[in-house]
Amino acid sequence: MRPGRVNKPWPVPVQTGPDGRPQAVGRLAVESVREEWLVEDGWWTQKPLQRRYFELVLSDGSDVVVFSEPDGRWFRQRD
Amino acid sequence: MSYVELHCHSAYSFLDGASDPAELAATAAALGHDALALTDHDNVCGAMEFAHACKGVGVRPIIGCELTVEVPRRLPRPVHVTLLVENARGWASLCRLITGAHDGTREGKGMREPLPPTLPIDELERHTAGLVCLSGCARDGAVAGTWERGDPASAINLAERLLRAFGPDHFRIELQRPLWRHDRSRNRWLASLAERLGVPAVATGDVHAHERSRSPLQDAFVAVRLGATLDESEGLRRGNSATALISAEQAAARFRDHPGAVAETERLAERLRFDLTRELGYSYPGAEDGSADRRLAELCRVRLVHRYEGTSHRAEAERRLEEELGLIQELRLSGFFLLHQDMLELAREVAVEVRGPDSARRLLPPGRGRGSSVSSLVCYLTGLSHIDPVKNDLFLGRFLNEELTEVPDIDLDFPRDIREKLIPRVHERYGPERSALVASFATYRARGAIRDLGKALGLPPGEVERFARAVDVYEASRDAWARMEETLGKLRARSPRWRALAELLPEIAGLPRHMSQHPGGMVISTTPLIELCPVQPAAMEGRQIVQWDKDSCADAGFLKIDLLGLGMLSAVERCVDEIARTRGQRIDLSRTPLDDEQVWSAIQRAETTGVFQIESRAQMQMLPRTLPRDLDDLTVQVALVRPGPIQGGAVHPYIERRKRLREDPGYEIPYEHPSLEPALRDTLGAIVFQDQVLEVAMALAGFSVGEAEGLRRAMSRKRSETAMLRYRERFIEGAVGQGVSREVAERVFGQIEGFSGFGFPKAHSAAFGLLAYQSMWLRVHYGPELLCALLNEQPMGFYPPDALVHEAQRRGVEILPPDVNVSEADCRVETIGATAGSSGNPPVRIGLGYVAELTGDDAEAVVAERRRGGPYLSVSDLAGRSGAGAASLQRLAWAGACDSLIEADAVPVDPDRDLRRPALWEAGGVAHASRTDEGAQLALPLDGSPAPPLPTLGPWDRIVADYRTTGMTLGKHPMELLRRGLPAEVLSSEDIARTRDGARVKVAGMVVARQRPATANGVVFMLLEDERGTINLIVPPPVVERCRLAVRTSGFVRATGKLEHREGTTNVVVSTIERLSPEELPERKPRQIAPPIPQETGRPAAVPLAISKRSFDGVREAAMAELAASLPAPHSFGRRGR
Repeated sequence: MRPGRVNKPWPVPVQTGPDGRPQAVGRLAVESVREEWLVEDGWWTQKPLQRRYFELVLSDGSDVVVFSEPDGRWFRQRD
Repeated sequence: MSYVELHCHSAYSFLDGASDPAELAATAAALGHDALALTDHDNVCGAMEFAHACKGVGVRPIIGCELTVEVPRRLPRPVHVTLLVENARGWASLCRLITGAHDGTREGKGMREPLPPTLPIDELERHTAGLVCLSGCARDGAVAGTWERGDPASAINLAERLLRAFGPDHFRIELQRPLWRHDRSRNRWLASLAERLGVPAVATGDVHAHERSRSPLQDAFVAVRLGATLDESEGLRRGNSATALISAEQAAARFRDHPGAVAETERLAERLRFDLTRELGYSYPGAEDGSADRRLAELCRVRLVHRYEGTSHRAEAERRLEEELGLIQELRLSGFFLLHQDMLELAREVAVEVRGPDSARRLLPPGRGRGSSVSSLVCYLTGLSHIDPVKNDLFLGRFLNEELTEVPDIDLDFPRDIREKLIPRVHERYGPERSALVASFATYRARGAIRDLGKALGLPPGEVERFARAVDVYEASRDAWARMEETLGKLRARSPRWRALAELLPEIAGLPRHMSQHPGGMVISTTPLIELCPVQPAAMEGRQIVQWDKDSCADAGFLKIDLLGLGMLSAVERCVDEIARTRGQRIDLSRTPLDDEQVWSAIQRAETTGVFQIESRAQMQMLPRTLPRDLDDLTVQVALVRPGPIQGGAVHPYIERRKRLREDPGYEIPYEHPSLEPALRDTLGAIVFQDQVLEVAMALAGFSVGEAEGLRRAMSRKRSETAMLRYRERFIEGAVGQGVSREVAERVFGQIEGFSGFGFPKAHSAAFGLLAYQSMWLRVHYGPELLCALLNEQPMGFYPPDALVHEAQRRGVEILPPDVNVSEADCRVETIGATAGSSGNPPVRIGLGYVAELTGDDAEAVVAERRRGGPYLSVSDLAGRSGAGAASLQRLAWAGACDSLIEADAVPVDPDRDLRRPALWEAGGVAHASRTDEGAQLALPLDGSPAPPLPTLGPWDRIVADYRTTGMTLGKHPMELLRRGLPAEVLSSEDIARTRDGARVKVAGMVVARQRPATANGVVFMLLEDERGTINLIVPPPVVERCRLAVRTSGFVRATGKLEHREGTTNVVVSTIERLSPEELPERKPRQIAPPIPQETGRPAAVPLAISKRSFDGVREAAMAELAASLPAPHSFGRRGR
């Protein structure tokens, strides 16, 4: 078995509002935004990091963490 | 909705904030903020600059500080609170608190860096009046930070404690939103705490940059501060760009859950009305003294009689004194002059202690005035200046005039040793709470920035250093970027980390890095200084500094007294002492004849190495053309080689007119306008002195003296284009109104504008000119003593010691190497048993203190033990008695200072044989005494094994050893050895003097100085030294670009160019220049390190292996590199250092 990355984020479809905050993740609506944070790092490397994170409570009661990258792609990540 | 930023760091939060106060103020204005607070970490260093910057852009400045507080027994680490000043009382409280936080930060022994400032919380609770306290930042704040670290009980306890200390009107819970993971939960908790305590919450941004693009630099600063790389410092960096200044709309969006906290910023700011630029309430001791006018007048009148009795200037002096006294009284400055006089009296007491009552130096005044104050008769009479302003016709207006708006500056120069003692004595006289040194802030320039940022980015140190050395010290950071590709290649320069470095360089340029002390500016106050500006201990024991630099102190109206240490004054004093010791003559320099023909002809021949102010390469080029004949000429000469006169186009007209006047005494000087003749007569129609700018503006355009001084300040301080335009219009209108043609008025203003670079006032130049003459007089009549004094006062002047001794050797002064049985710790002129050198002068003996890495204590101990117990008989005797450690002994042996001990061993010695290796061998094998507080603990007198026959140190190795140990070589000049490998067509300095003008020549030499003056449009001037003398190179910009590394970094170069002989000066205008390549080194065999076999085994030595040409090349390369690494630092682009 090939070694893989632990907790690797996976792409997820996210609908956003005019302020860029998520309104739905997949088919589940966002009930509330618990936290919002920004990570900008590694600007001096070949892989600069710029991620806008959200911790969300979805309509099914689940608590998820998603982030967007500058190219508009969204990912979900285990907390 | 409005928002006022109440928590903001500038670059004065050293290595944390990434923007300067002006950038913050301008951005706040652009974002539409009415007010902005500055809250740097534990200081108010940038507060005055910030206050003025804000006022300039219509933003109301609020002053504060983020103070580090410790809570003993409750919290394991210090926390932050944000303090904001409400009124003048609050400012005094803040200054006391910051002073308290820095108290004791320098008390540890042997500390290079101070301890971080922290204030016990009970101290904070004692000085809360007039301050508003916010509960602190998200990460390290007293309340939020403690919550973040999982201790809500302590956070609540601390909030309640601060609330009790400041009261509900003056305490707020601070909410921040740095866009970190737990912002919202933390703020929810803080908001509920605020509600429970009954105080409002207030939103702040914890700003660290004026805009987001500056955030990478802020990251890099954190890494630099921690001495780590960016990768290593991840957890301690801010992690994003959210700490840039934001608009009210952005603040509302960011704090959408707490709109009340945003509204509170405006309500609170409305109360914070303290105006630092107007409410400081400073006065200096004596300012309110009602009797000061009378006392000053009496003192001056009595001294005037004494000074001018029987001279032709008396009437003029009396008239001028009354006029000056009237002006001083009108400006209410009598107390100011008396305070300075008091300071001088204090200096006199200190001088007696330092010099000793019987010293030959006692005849010298304790210090001398410099700068524009030398033009004041009151200064002359009170001893603050040594130049007669009446006899020298010095213009007062630059120093004092009826429109003066700031306290004038009086600068005093002291010998270094007197100044050392005087500064703590001033603290004693006026009290530690009322006097302190002025701060200065080291700002980033290209090289330092490359080194710091390179390390933070984790770049290879060797390459970072290569790049740093390839840029000019004063080179603009943007230009430095261009050097990267050139130095490291395209591949490197385009890699992300190097590109990041290139992008950060322009951002960091000019930002303050750390605080240090001004060379000598002191402020003294009637009210405790620590309520006017925080005071902190300086690195030197017994000294303390205010947190403002000279500009902020001037803006605050502080009286600043400059007590400057002048190396040449120290050297002159040492020289006078040395003359008394060696020749028994007591020299009173105030009585030296000013018309000494020998002195003037030496000046005209530019034989001025080691002479104050006229020793530089540029001055030496000028002297044979201007041919100064008296002190007036020298006064002009000193001022002539400055950026002001050079850019103002004064130099060539002055030289040309002097020449014309010499040829034709009836030559009429062409003035731009007849009204300028009185102002410019002394300088033959050219504007050379700063005060002539004032006089010209007054004569030609009818400016008042205050207006003219305003024009000068607009030109020199922070040059304002708008202000200059206004002055230009006013100047031309005024001149035209006086009947001057517009064309002439514009031309003269152009000259004034060109002058806007740095220039000397005539008074300053007269003071320096006199010291230049005196040092020249000493050089001519007491050459060895002056050389000795210069060597002992290093670092100073233009030339490294190596160049000074070579020049002295060329004029016949004998210089002897260090010797443990003869040398003192300092260099001395030898008297006992010394034979005069070929010049008839006694020789100079290099002191043991010149041996690098020999501690001062060891040098003194070697000398003291020799005095006590007689000469050392052997290396083991030296080791056993002196207490010098093993490393020190080895340095002494390697410097040749133990050669006499090997001779004393009575081993038959070949006179040409080098003795350093045997000495080093013996030094390695002897037992050492150790030094204790009670004296030397003697070692057993065990002799080490005598040295076996060791390979002789060749001349090349000897030179390297000389440079490595003493920084100078007294035997063969390196060029003498290198000459053998050079083609005959490469001429020496002596040859080119005999070669015709215009010839194409090849020359080579060791680089002594390289300069690229801002006024020379990219031309580099280099001074080479060979075994016969010196060679001046002029390297035009295209050659500089083409041969950049050779010009910038090579210790030895070979150049081809056109020879120019002009009016007594010789230059080579270079077309190609390269470093001396290894092929041109004398051949040297690889070193045989193993001991010779016959001594060890009795068997014959093996036949040496054949050595290929390639090995020889390697040896040459290594030898050249070894020497280059050991050479003394040349005068390189504005500073002595590589």
